[in-house]
Amino acid sequence: MSVLDLLWRFPSVQMAWRNLGRNRIRTGLATLGIVIGVVAIASLGMTGAALQQQADSNLGSLTNEVSVSAGADSATDGVTESQVDDIENVVVAAAIVPQRSDSTTLSTRRGESRRVTVTGVTNAGALYETSAGDTPDRLRTGALLSDDTAADLGLELGDPVEYDGQLYRIVGLIESDSGFGPGGNELVLPSSALSDGAYDSVTIVAEDGQTATAIADRLDAEFNEPDDEALSVTSFASAQANVDSFLNTLNLALLGIGSISLVVASVAILNVMLMSTIERRGEIGVLRAVGIRRGEVLRMILAEAAFLGLLGGIVGAALSVGTGLVVFQLLAGDRLAVFGWPSIRYVVGGFGFAVVASVLSGLYPAWKAANDPPVEALRG
Amino acid sequence: MGSQVGVVRLAGVTKRYQNGDETIEALADVDFRAERGEMVTVIGPSGSGKSTMLNVIGLLDTPTTGTVRIQTRDVTAFTEDELTEERRSVIGFVFQEFHLLPMLTAVENVELPSMWEPTVDRRDRAVDLLRRVGLGDRLDHTPDELSGGQRQRVAIARALINEPDIVLADEPTGNLDRETGETILEELTALQTNENVAVVAVTHDEQLVEYADRVVELVDGRVTT
Repeated sequence: MSVLDLLWRFPSVQMAWRNLGRNRIRTGLATLGIVIGVVAIASLGMTGAALQQQADSNLGSLTNEVSVSAGADSATDGVTESQVDDIENVVVAAAIVPQRSDSTTLSTRRGESRRVTVTGVTNAGALYETSAGDTPDRLRTGALLSDDTAADLGLELGDPVEYDGQLYRIVGLIESDSGFGPGGNELVLPSSALSDGAYDSVTIVAEDGQTATAIADRLDAEFNEPDDEALSVTSFASAQANVDSFLNTLNLALLGIGSISLVVASVAILNVMLMSTIERRGEIGVLRAVGIRRGEVLRMILAEAAFLGLLGGIVGAALSVGTGLVVFQLLAGDRLAVFGWPSIRYVVGGFGFAVVASVLSGLYPAWKAANDPPVEALRG
Repeated sequence: MGSQVGVVRLAGVTKRYQNGDETIEALADVDFRAERGEMVTVIGPSGSGKSTMLNVIGLLDTPTTGTVRIQTRDVTAFTEDELTEERRSVIGFVFQEFHLLPMLTAVENVELPSMWEPTVDRRDRAVDLLRRVGLGDRLDHTPDELSGGQRQRVAIARALINEPDIVLADEPTGNLDRETGETILEELTALQTNENVAVVAVTHDEQLVEYADRVVELVDGRVTT
């Protein structure tokens, strides 16, 4: 059974479709208004979603981490071995990476040099992503170096670097991403390369931001009293919360702007429907005279408005997805992410809004036409 | 029974309009009845209340005082929705301006009054009616592809689709030349016998009087004959 056969079963729909076909230019223009509204609301919403996604991926490597260092009231200079053991007892299901920090200058035989931070860490794999070579879970002999530093100094995998009189062979290059995460002018060595004694900090890598916040709260409760801070516990989840809240506000503002255009479009539909029912007053009078019920006239005109909304919504949604592909390519570098729910929901929402707004706009003209006394209507 | 009470009957119908401070009496104490199988022509000068009378008979307008009966039912106090039901099932309309819907074909225009009814044989009946008025070869033509006389025949077929008891014709030949008008009048007179309906035609066209079984003359809202 074809779509038209199905439509024929609903006379109101059938009549509405025919009526819209009578003045194609007017129908087209009314639809265009809706299309613009849907594209505005959906593409602005998707821009927000793309910004959010981009922010998440930049912050992502930080927000699931908790950083622990010696507290203001700590007797020791750093985090002691026994404190690390205590942390391990409190925290489950998260990687605990004690580390020591220093800085040094790496230089080449050609005389070029770069200042780098030195991190002594055993479980390097939990913290670093490498672009080349390995990130061993247990770093014992080799070294990891930021790839941009390596490039600057002309160092490659297998080349030696010197720290504190010792030579270390580069076993991996760390990706220096553009975000706020670790990486960038960093030399990672085995923990033993740096002086023994207390660790400078402990990084705890949790599943996600929420877990990280929970771990931070737990550690704070476990080790610290209000007037005695043994460990300074910092989680970056709150940074993400701030960014999220800013982006939400931005998103609302963008959606607000988009909604205005859809409201304008529905006023246009109200106008078009009102005009066309006034023009067809005599015709609607004939329908009523030959026994078509008020509810049937009402449904017919509502169906016309709904058709305008549906047509505009479908075309608008298609154009929005196109716009979204471009926006996501430009902002997030991944155009297919547009089909993810955080983004596609604005297309669905814009489409739904278009249909609902159109039907609402059709209500008054439909009611007016249906309740026009047939005698008056026939007189014209 | 129908022949005793009339298929439609007005008793003491008065219709007044308020026009500013002035009250216009369009119909004054009108008694009227029409039987199945007869053709009644209502004549009178313009402003005599013909159209108001047709609107009252056609249940498009309600009287200020008096009663309207369809067969044995007193419909005077019916609500708009009840009147719509009566119009749909009992009355067929033929207008001077034809009033066909331009986006529908001839056969769809004929189906229109029953379009919202779940009748299965609607299309067959519409085709049959168009054949009977001589438009069997114009089924899928839209109104603008038809002549005036053909349009009025489509309108007559439309008036019959719900098997009415009464066909009301408002100046049915008013927009047609004399010759075409005659063929339309022949269609209408054929109805009264073939379909056993009451045909009530309102006109100021003398031509219509020749075809009528009975003529009712209205002057200033009063029946004079």
